Amino acid sequence: MTAHTGRTTPAPPPAAQENLQGHYAGFASRFLAFAADVVIITAGFLLVLAAINFVASIVTGRSTNFSRQDIWVIIGYVVWAFIYFAHWWGLNGKTPGGGLFGVQVLTEDGRDVSGRRAIGRTLAFPLSFLILCLGFLGILLGDRRRALHDVIAGTVVVYSWDARAARLRFLSRPQYSAPPESPGVPGPPS
Amino acid sequence: MEAMAQTIAERVISLVLDAVDVNAVLDDVDLNALLDRVDLNMLLDRVDIEAILNKIDIEDILDRIDVNRLLARVDVNQLLSTVDVNRVVGKVDVPAIVDQVDVNQMVQQVDVNGVMSRVDVNAVVDRVDINGIVEHLDLEAIVEQTDLGSVIAKSSSGIASGVVDVVRSRTVGLDESIARMVARLRRRPYTGPPGPPAGLRATAAS
Repeated sequence: MTAHTGRTTPAPPPAAQENLQGHYAGFASRFLAFAADVVIITAGFLLVLAAINFVASIVTGRSTNFSRQDIWVIIGYVVWAFIYFAHWWGLNGKTPGGGLFGVQVLTEDGRDVSGRRAIGRTLAFPLSFLILCLGFLGILLGDRRRALHDVIAGTVVVYSWDARAARLRFLSRPQYSAPPESPGVPGPPS
Repeated sequence: MEAMAQTIAERVISLVLDAVDVNAVLDDVDLNALLDRVDLNMLLDRVDIEAILNKIDIEDILDRIDVNRLLARVDVNQLLSTVDVNRVVGKVDVPAIVDQVDVNQMVQQVDVNGVMSRVDVNAVVDRVDINGIVEHLDLEAIVEQTDLGSVIAKSSSGIASGVVDVVRSRTVGLDESIARMVARLRRRPYTGPPGPPAGLRATAAS
C-alpha cells in the first residue's frame, strides 16, 4: 500500500475488507475464544483453590492441600465453569474469551440470549464433547455454522466486532497515515 | 334622328323589362349549369385582388373585433393537444437564444437571499441519500492519506485495542482459510462467511 508520499508501507494484516459484524463466526474464532475462556476459568479456579488452601491451613493449623484430583475439586471446577458460561452468555452473549476474539452468542433470529436459554446452552455444551467432539462438526459443515449445543439451545454465534472500523484504525496508525510532508522533518521508516 | 332612335330603344327596353317577370326568368335559369360554363379561374385572374385589399382598412376591421371574446370561444387545451411541442421545440435554436442572454446580468437581478429564504433546506436534505454518498467515499484512502488517520488514532486507538484488532483480524483470516479448505474438500464454492441472522438484517436495514 502506498501513501501519497510515495513511500511503500507494509501491508496491513488480513483484516476483513468488509464489515463482518453479524456474520456467523468461524471455527478458529470460536475455538480460540473457548480456549481463552478455559484459561481464564482455570486460572481463576486455581487462584481461589490456593486461597482456600491458605485460609484452611491458617484456620486448622496444619497444611491443607485440595489437589486437582480430588472429586470435590473437580465438581467445584465444573460448577464454576457452568456459572461462568451461563452468566456471561445470559448477560450479553459474550464471555471474556468471546469478547477478546469478537464473537457473541445470539438467538437464531438475532436477538439477545435470555438467562434460561443461556443455562440450556451451557447444559448442552458438554454434549458436543461427549460424542467424540462430533457436535462441533456443524461449525465446519453447517450453513449457519452451528454446533450441536447451538441447535439444542436455538442459538448462533456471530462476529460482534466491526472489522471495517478495525481496518480503518489499523490504517490510521502512524506508519500508515501519512502526515503532511514538511522540509527537514523525516517521515516514518518505510 | 339618331337621338330619337335611342330614345325609342330605351323606351322599348324599359317597357320590355317592366313586362318581364325577372324572378320567373331566374327561376327558369339553371344556375348550376350556368356556373359550370363559367371559367372562374379565368375570371379571378382578371380580378385585381391587390387593389381590392388595398381598399380594405384591416386596422378598422381588427378594431371592431373583440379579440377577448374570440379567444374565449377557443378551447386552448384542445388546441395545444394538437400541437407537436417536441417538433416545435426541435425547431428552436436554444444555444442561439442562450447566447443572447446575459446570464451575469440576469443573476445580478436575482435576490439570492430572498430565494434561499423560501427554500426548505430540511426538505432538500431529507431528499439527499447521504448513505449513498458515503458509500461512494473511499474511506480507507481518506484515512490513509490524510491527517484524519492520526485524529482517529489519537481518539480511539490504544495499544491494547490495536493488538485486539490484529488478533481478531488474524483469527478471521484463519476462519476463512479453514472454511475455504472445507469447501474445497466438499467440492462446493465458498462465497464468504454466511449470515447475518434475519433479525440482525432487519435491524441493520432499519
